[in-house]
Amino acid sequence: MSDSDDDNDNFVRYGTALEPIEEDEVPTKRKFQQAPDQYAVDEHGRRRFHGAFTGGFSAGFGNTVGSQEGWKPSNFKSSRSEKAAFSNQRPEDFMDEEDRGEFGIAPRQVQTQREFSGQKRQHRTQYHDGPIPGEPVLHQLLRPVHETAAVRMLRAMGWREGQGMGERLSSRDKKKSKEQHKVYGCYMPPELRQAQEDQSMEESESSDSEVDFDTLFAPDDYEPYILQRKNDRFGLGYSGLSRHSVLGNLIGEYGSEPGSSKSHLLMKDKGKRVSIRGQAFGVGAFEADDEDIYAKEDMSHYDFSLDGPVQTKKNTPKKDNQKNRNVLEGFVKSTKPLPSVPTYPPPALPRDYVPAAAGARRSRFEPTTQQPRDQGLGRHELSARARGELLGETPLPPPPPETPVKDQKDLTTVLGKTINFVSTVEKTELDYIPIKDSGKEITKVFKPFIGNPEKQKRYEKYLENKGVLERDGDMDKLQEWERERELVEFEQAAKLYKPLSGVMGDRFTHASEPDDAVNPLTAVAKSTNTYGLATKEQIEAAQKGMYGVMTRQTVTWRPDPLVSKRFNVPEIGGARQQEKKEDRPKVSYSIFSYLESSVHDKDSFAAEQNKFSGSKSLTTSILPKTDKKATETPQSSTQVPQNNDPIVQSTDTNAKPTTSASITKETVTGFAKRMTVAELFLKESENTKKEGAAVTDTIQKFDRMDLYKSIFLSDTEDEEDSEKSKVNDGTDFIDVPKNVERNTSPPRGIFANIDFDEINSWRRKEPEKVAEEPTKKNESIHKFNKSVGNPPEEKNDEANEAMYGPKIPENLQKRLESEVQKDSLKETIDVDSSSSEDSWVDIKEVKNKKQKKKKSKKHKSKHKKKSKSKKKDR
Amino acid sequence: MVEMTELTTLSTIKCKQQVVRAVRFNVDGTYCLTCGADKKIKLWNPHRQILLKTYGGHGNEVLDAAGSCDSSQIISCSTDKSVILWDVTTGQPLRRYRGHAGPVTCIKYNEESTMAVSGSIDNTVCFWDVISRRQEPVQVLKDAKDTITSIQVTDHEVLTTSVDSHIRLYDIRVGKMISDYIGHIVTYGNLTRDGQCYILSCADNTIKLFDKETGELLNTFMGHECIDYLLENAVNEKDSHIICGSATGEVFYYDLISSKCTQKLRHSDNKPVVSLNHHPTDNFLITACEDEIKLWGVQAMEE
Repeated sequence: MSDSDDDNDNFVRYGTALEPIEEDEVPTKRKFQQAPDQYAVDEHGRRRFHGAFTGGFSAGFGNTVGSQEGWKPSNFKSSRSEKAAFSNQRPEDFMDEEDRGEFGIAPRQVQTQREFSGQKRQHRTQYHDGPIPGEPVLHQLLRPVHETAAVRMLRAMGWREGQGMGERLSSRDKKKSKEQHKVYGCYMPPELRQAQEDQSMEESESSDSEVDFDTLFAPDDYEPYILQRKNDRFGLGYSGLSRHSVLGNLIGEYGSEPGSSKSHLLMKDKGKRVSIRGQAFGVGAFEADDEDIYAKEDMSHYDFSLDGPVQTKKNTPKKDNQKNRNVLEGFVKSTKPLPSVPTYPPPALPRDYVPAAAGARRSRFEPTTQQPRDQGLGRHELSARARGELLGETPLPPPPPETPVKDQKDLTTVLGKTINFVSTVEKTELDYIPIKDSGKEITKVFKPFIGNPEKQKRYEKYLENKGVLERDGDMDKLQEWERERELVEFEQAAKLYKPLSGVMGDRFTHASEPDDAVNPLTAVAKSTNTYGLATKEQIEAAQKGMYGVMTRQTVTWRPDPLVSKRFNVPEIGGARQQEKKEDRPKVSYSIFSYLESSVHDKDSFAAEQNKFSGSKSLTTSILPKTDKKATETPQSSTQVPQNNDPIVQSTDTNAKPTTSASITKETVTGFAKRMTVAELFLKESENTKKEGAAVTDTIQKFDRMDLYKSIFLSDTEDEEDSEKSKVNDGTDFIDVPKNVERNTSPPRGIFANIDFDEINSWRRKEPEKVAEEPTKKNESIHKFNKSVGNPPEEKNDEANEAMYGPKIPENLQKRLESEVQKDSLKETIDVDSSSSEDSWVDIKEVKNKKQKKKKSKKHKSKHKKKSKSKKKDR
Repeated sequence: MVEMTELTTLSTIKCKQQVVRAVRFNVDGTYCLTCGADKKIKLWNPHRQILLKTYGGHGNEVLDAAGSCDSSQIISCSTDKSVILWDVTTGQPLRRYRGHAGPVTCIKYNEESTMAVSGSIDNTVCFWDVISRRQEPVQVLKDAKDTITSIQVTDHEVLTTSVDSHIRLYDIRVGKMISDYIGHIVTYGNLTRDGQCYILSCADNTIKLFDKETGELLNTFMGHECIDYLLENAVNEKDSHIICGSATGEVFYYDLISSKCTQKLRHSDNKPVVSLNHHPTDNFLITACEDEIKLWGVQAMEE
């Protein structure tokens, strides 16, 4: 052992210690073996195998091959001097001891000599040549059996067959030794056992007392315990359940009469004990508790009575036993029959059911009896005609009788000649719908923009021009961004409403000539099919060689932006604003992918929202699409309403401390303010129309902010702001309407008489108005522009007209009206008073300390404009 | 009028490719590519008759190939409907485009080899972006109603010829497609080196010279024979002659102006010269007939 082990040699070690594993080292499963470890050696530590070139294994004298001494041959012995001592060489002379060992090439065994083995040595007997030559017949028939030497010795010592070996015993001892009983559970303590033995001894003595006690018996012969070869794959000691019934024979086997019943329940010792043979279940490999798992269960191990062994068996009448012979002891056959198991009738077979053997397999070449039905797809159930109707095709005329063609075909088959079908087949009616025509018809059927006839017209023109929007009269009405959007819309619509014929039409073409099934190698005329591309005039011109204008067609074609990029060519019409977002085109061309990418999906909707800043905010998005389209109409966008609405004005003034601060007004202004943002933009866009792209930027800037707000901030945030500013001003304190719902305490003070619920409910209805108003308001606004100081009744009428949604309750309406009147009156006054811009700005600055610079700017600019317009009006 | 000097066979190479479907010079004319019916493309130096590389990977006959402008890549198309981009040095396919529904008959690079344009029997022309890893065609032109037989690409134009007797010129710069009705199947279309005229091999045993601007017929060249073969044509480096193969195994030199046959080169006996390509700058012609390619040129006198 190494020195390092000295300090802890107080414990014993066996074997060699493993080398400590380095921390970085990954321990390998395979133990590292050094080269010398990998040699197989014999017990003397010599190498056993040397490889083919070094002489095989254990080569040479004393395994010397490969060593320094080399192979040493046996010494030469001259046979001249000792001729007599000449001995033959045997193979053993050249063997090592391990070759002669158990695993060597010539293992040595200890064998009984022939003469002791019981096989007598065959003496070569000379048969005398008598009248019957050869081996005597009797000799052939009877062969003497020879005992082994041991048997002969035993015989000599007085042993008889059938006896055991050993000392002679008295009968009592013999019996005792016979009862080599197995014990289940704990061994009895010796004293107890002794007592039991004595007891049983007495019994037995009583039974065979007639035998002389002096007589000595030879012990019983030893029964060899013969191991049976295992020839099944069950677990050790397991014998499976045989098909014997528990009480009787093999079911349905021969000899099942009651007497010969080979029951598992056996009567041992003439009815004394009942034992059960066979074992159904073994014990699992992991169940350690059961110590004697291979024991055979025996009924004798159980006590059936509390008061010792009783002879009940004898009392039972034989007749009864006979009667219930299938009844276990202790059981009685029941008198009541078992409740019958409910039976269910088998299912009724279909009428046309043909039974087939279970194992019979049908060959796939066998003719099927029933027609395979087209699975799953309902469209196959439609007839061609029905499908055509669905697609809007004109129904086909019934096919003309085909007799002449058939005759010709027959002729060809008969004559075996090739007939040029091209010349013979006269051009009759087409037996198919021309794909192109059907496609055109369908495009006529699909009118995606039918709601807006002008747009539809533009769309059709767009389709005609194959993807290029032309500038014309009504096109100029539209703004740049609108045109862009429309282009995208048209593109998608064209994609969506192009039916199958459009997609497939350019992939397939009709055969110009019929297939000749008889002779597929018939000469086909050289195809000069123009596929309907060339007109008659063109063909004529080409034939005359008059190429040029006639034969030329120019079509607009739009190269993909990437193609232009790769060819280093500027894109036509400048880069489109809305590039395709997805880099990869969708592979799946399902209808859903088209629908998804249509204008009405979320993205494009948002984009549209960005572009079109009508009355934005949640209210528009809540509205159905039709409404949105209505707002999209060019009229609404081109005709920008003059922003002189009284309600709007009131919003502007709400920054200023108003003397009459009623909550109803507050809510009105809150709602109206949202409108003003939209209208402000419209106005702005009109002003900056010439600047083009810059406009859209500002729009997007504004609207992104507003969109964000409409999503993440509450509707009434604007109001809150204004309210806060008011609080700052300190002139007026009004409860924020939004918080009313949260405030659970009953209103006190000035709020005591106010019906908040009513107000709120009214407010909630209000937003629906928003979308509708801009359009409807236009007229009223114009009127109002003319006469700012009009009598308020007129305005109210218009306001009523413009009312949208459910009717306002009577009492509230009255109050509202009065409020609005007041407001409008006040407004005019306010505006007049605030005609100087400077004063406005000052107030604003005070107000907008907080944040919201953009907002303030907007307000400012709006007010400026408004005031300007007011001035103009004056 | 440039005097024609007699061209002679400079070298003959047995390609061992069963049949050579197309033979193409590379960008500077030092190497050539042969597309074989044995699914392989072979890169040769025809001047020294050396086989440089074999490109295997197509699943069927290779119908056309083109080398990139920097000679680092090869793009090829095959009857197996695929287009393969090859790396010249390693010989490995870089990308395989499977956008066509039918055998791809012709392929060309654009000027900067950033895009490949392929035409197919499925009547479509596909633009493949060679730069990015995009597997789908950038754009598909579906105007033709029959097989695209040939494609020519200039800096801003794509000329396609089709069996539907039309040729189509796509102008990327202007965004227009000009289609000319020819009246015969156009087996091969070429542009003169000045880019002003089309040279169209028609199935009626003629070659027609068209003005690109007006679409008018300028000249017709007759004399060769095309028996249902897709014969190719070429212009020489000075735009003075139109060269075309014939089903009779000859190569015809037509004078562009006078439309007279000035020279006939005999490549083989009664085996069609299906493919030929002219050296981009020098007076070399390479022709393919069965599995044999021949380089034609003026024998250098001083040697």
